[in-house]
Amino acid sequence: MAEGTKKPADAAPPWDYNPSSWSQRLPICVLAMVAFVISAWMGLYQWRLVDAVWDPFFGDQTMRVLDSDVSHRMQRWFGVPDASLGAIAYLGDAVFGLAGSTSRWRARPWLVVLFGIDVIPLGGVSAVLVIVQATVLGEWCFLCLVTAVISLVLVYWAYDEVWSSIVYLRRVWQRTGSAGAVWTVFRGGYHAEAAAAAEGR
Amino acid sequence: MWPRVVEVMIGAWLVITPLVFRGTEDLDRYAVNAVVSGAIVITASLMAFWRRTAWMRFVTLAVSCWLAGHGYLSAVRPGPPAAQHEIMVGLLLLLFAILPNDINGVNRPPSTAPAPRS
Repeated sequence: MAEGTKKPADAAPPWDYNPSSWSQRLPICVLAMVAFVISAWMGLYQWRLVDAVWDPFFGDQTMRVLDSDVSHRMQRWFGVPDASLGAIAYLGDAVFGLAGSTSRWRARPWLVVLFGIDVIPLGGVSAVLVIVQATVLGEWCFLCLVTAVISLVLVYWAYDEVWSSIVYLRRVWQRTGSAGAVWTVFRGGYHAEAAAAAEGR
Repeated sequence: MWPRVVEVMIGAWLVITPLVFRGTEDLDRYAVNAVVSGAIVITASLMAFWRRTAWMRFVTLAVSCWLAGHGYLSAVRPGPPAAQHEIMVGLLLLLFAILPNDINGVNRPPSTAPAPRS
């Protein structure tokens, strides 16, 4: 999430702001929780624990999408309804977004990478599911579209922090040439050369 | 420590699972697993509060993988409600079990060398 022009002391290269600050992470967590609630609702419908799913534009199409052959096939693959799996993934976005300090981009790169692994592929999966709706089923699910848009916004908001961690690990590698040093830094340990890399010395 | 607190709550949920899922298909096959797993999770998460047994969170991590794997492999998919519940709780537990106790502590900046021994 890009921010103002003044470069703070804790800015994370290559950015001029700190993508691990709470002002950057909290909106991600709030939006992920919104998507979690929507996905959980659709999952509850697929389990028939609620009778219907709200759709202001496409009427019964949402429920037909959730009850489609594609959806049932995915339930056979995953063992649980696809929407409930999505709900867990969005909850993971929020949990991993809340975890860690404001220096986690360099102090706990493993956490940021894990966060990225949860957020970024999820955006891709949501986009694919929307394409499947339009091309295979020929029907639209409003809440699925909402979660897909949220997923893409989350990717846009989250990639800067993940990129900072990757850039930091690459600088450690370039400076030390040691996989052991990169591993030490990745799991949050102290390494003198890495410290120099962090300060750009 | 908040991940451990959430794990204890999830463990308590697992312990009462047979009551919640009473009357559903094939519950007998999953009830004991849920109660025992829940008891292990509660014990491991509480023990993880103590610095010397902080490693016990890995027991919770193992239980989360066991639950998800058992729920996935123990029946023709999609399995009965109790099996699907195992998958969901296993994945939920995994989200928290992967986080260490001091996850939100202020990390020592990598640029700060450890204090020399006096």
